[in-house]
Amino acid sequence: MPISTSIYNALFRRNYVFVGSVFAGAFAFEILFDQATDKLWDNMNKGRQWKDIRHRYVQEE
Amino acid sequence: MNCLKVVAQRAATRSIVPRTAALSARSISTFESSDYKSPFAASGKKDTTRIPDFSKYKGGNPNSNKLFGYFMVGTMGVLSAAGAKATIQDFLVNMAASADVLAMAKVEVDLTAIPEGKNVIIKWRGKPIFIRHRTPDEIEEANAVKIESLRDPQTDAERVKQPEWLVMLGICTHLGCVPIGEAGDFGGWFCPCHGSHYDISGRIRRGPAPLNLEIPEYDFPEEGKLVIG
Amino acid sequence: MLARSILRPTTGAALLKTAVRNSTRRTATSSATSSNAESPRNLNIAGTVSTLTAIGSIAWYYQQYGCGFGEVHAATPAEEGLHAPKYPWDHQGWLSTFDHQSLRRGFQVYREVCASCHSLSRVPWRALVGVSHTVDEAKAMAEENEYDDEPNDQGEIQKRTGKLSDYIPSPYPNDEAARAANQGALPPDLSLITKARHGGCDYVYALLTGYPDEPPAGANVAEGLNFNPYFPGTGIAMARVLYDGLVEYEDGTPATTSQMAKDVVQFLNWAAEPEMDQRKKMGMKVIIISSVLVGLSIWVKRYKWAPIKARKIVYNPPK
Repeated sequence: MPISTSIYNALFRRNYVFVGSVFAGAFAFEILFDQATDKLWDNMNKGRQWKDIRHRYVQEE
Repeated sequence: MNCLKVVAQRAATRSIVPRTAALSARSISTFESSDYKSPFAASGKKDTTRIPDFSKYKGGNPNSNKLFGYFMVGTMGVLSAAGAKATIQDFLVNMAASADVLAMAKVEVDLTAIPEGKNVIIKWRGKPIFIRHRTPDEIEEANAVKIESLRDPQTDAERVKQPEWLVMLGICTHLGCVPIGEAGDFGGWFCPCHGSHYDISGRIRRGPAPLNLEIPEYDFPEEGKLVIG
Repeated sequence: MLARSILRPTTGAALLKTAVRNSTRRTATSSATSSNAESPRNLNIAGTVSTLTAIGSIAWYYQQYGCGFGEVHAATPAEEGLHAPKYPWDHQGWLSTFDHQSLRRGFQVYREVCASCHSLSRVPWRALVGVSHTVDEAKAMAEENEYDDEPNDQGEIQKRTGKLSDYIPSPYPNDEAARAANQGALPPDLSLITKARHGGCDYVYALLTGYPDEPPAGANVAEGLNFNPYFPGTGIAMARVLYDGLVEYEDGTPATTSQMAKDVVQFLNWAAEPEMDQRKKMGMKVIIISSVLVGLSIWVKRYKWAPIKARKIVYNPPK
């Protein structure tokens, strides 16, 4: 059985599985996407944000 | 000159209308006979039944084609659901308390300034807060009460975090007056509006109020410091 | 027909009119006749020429008279003030945050220089936390000030030390006091100044650094005012305040006039738009997601419509 058929049978054959995996995927995607874009953002603004300069002013006790 | 042109154009328009109708009727009839060539027409009379060759457009594996189609639709669903969730969440967060309200929501009190056996009233979110530094006698008195006899049964330990500090919302549970401290028949608070008597633990003992005085959320982050909220 | 005979073209320039006439006849008769077989070419020429004429005349008009709509100048350019040049602010990119080190320096400049006259009444101390200062620093600064407490049992209002939730205190109790202390001129509140002035950051920066050493010859500067070409009317009550080395930055940045002006302008921009960093980040996410979604939905549309558009319905009448 080719892999495409097994994926098809696992995910798309039954609608409730399809819709369910779409919603589950949405949550997982949101977490991953947020992490990725946050990382990208911090990379683009390196050294400009408060978290980059905070260590200069906070004395750890 | 201008007006002449307009008149002439009107005349032209009027004369054109019937002619168009006549012509379009004729033009339909010309389709069958003469010079019109359909780009779809091939040679032969009954060519409409011929099925063109679509094999160029067909993929290899019909299952993987289906898979790809569902995958694209599913991906669109995932992105839309994530976007919709984020949008709704943002709108709901928008309804939460604003930052300035939240900043006012906590009050710090310096407890070292309150001597034993004294009441202090402070304002918290616009409401009075009673803070009493209780003496050991008062704590004993509060613990000696038979809970079964109370209207709103609560032990004193349930109402305090440190027995010497009693922190309560100073609003009578009857109709919202502010009770008077160190008054009433039970050595606690007395509400002058309708005569509710509270004891030294802020529990209702006599009068119309149905419940004990409410306890706000508070904490002692360090010695001698109280944070309400 | 009268119009046509009047408009009968005699020169090449009237080719346009011929084409228009031809096109009228064409649409009117709904099918081209053999007599004007070359009309498509004429039509193309006519269309091109008329479009160019229209664009050209409009462009000429704008070039000559400017945009005719909504711009009526009541004041002369001198009264408007010199238009501030465009400065390359590093926080104004689509994807760039404020430089928070600069915000910290800018707050220092505000506190040591501007705050003696200008209020910043919409910014609470807590807003600085996590932006340019730590909690303890912000608390310490708040505690240096006294605020009115809630009325006590006798209804008297006493003073208490400041808390994080308090707003940065104003130098004057009210506008009248501010005017009285500044010869009738009201120092504006700076909370939203970069939004409130035409030119925004550029204007404030140009104003702060734009004081000439002495007013140019012929300039009319009233008593008690100072000359600044960027200020509308050129007479400004505020004198030049920023001079090299006026403040001492704790991070060792040389405190030149332009450095201080840049820092304080960036700080004031933050005061006006504290949500900017978050907003831009969210915008980036939204644009990424929605551009992918647009592509996907175009694909899905084509996918769903392809069989509908490509189908062919055949009717074979019974013999």
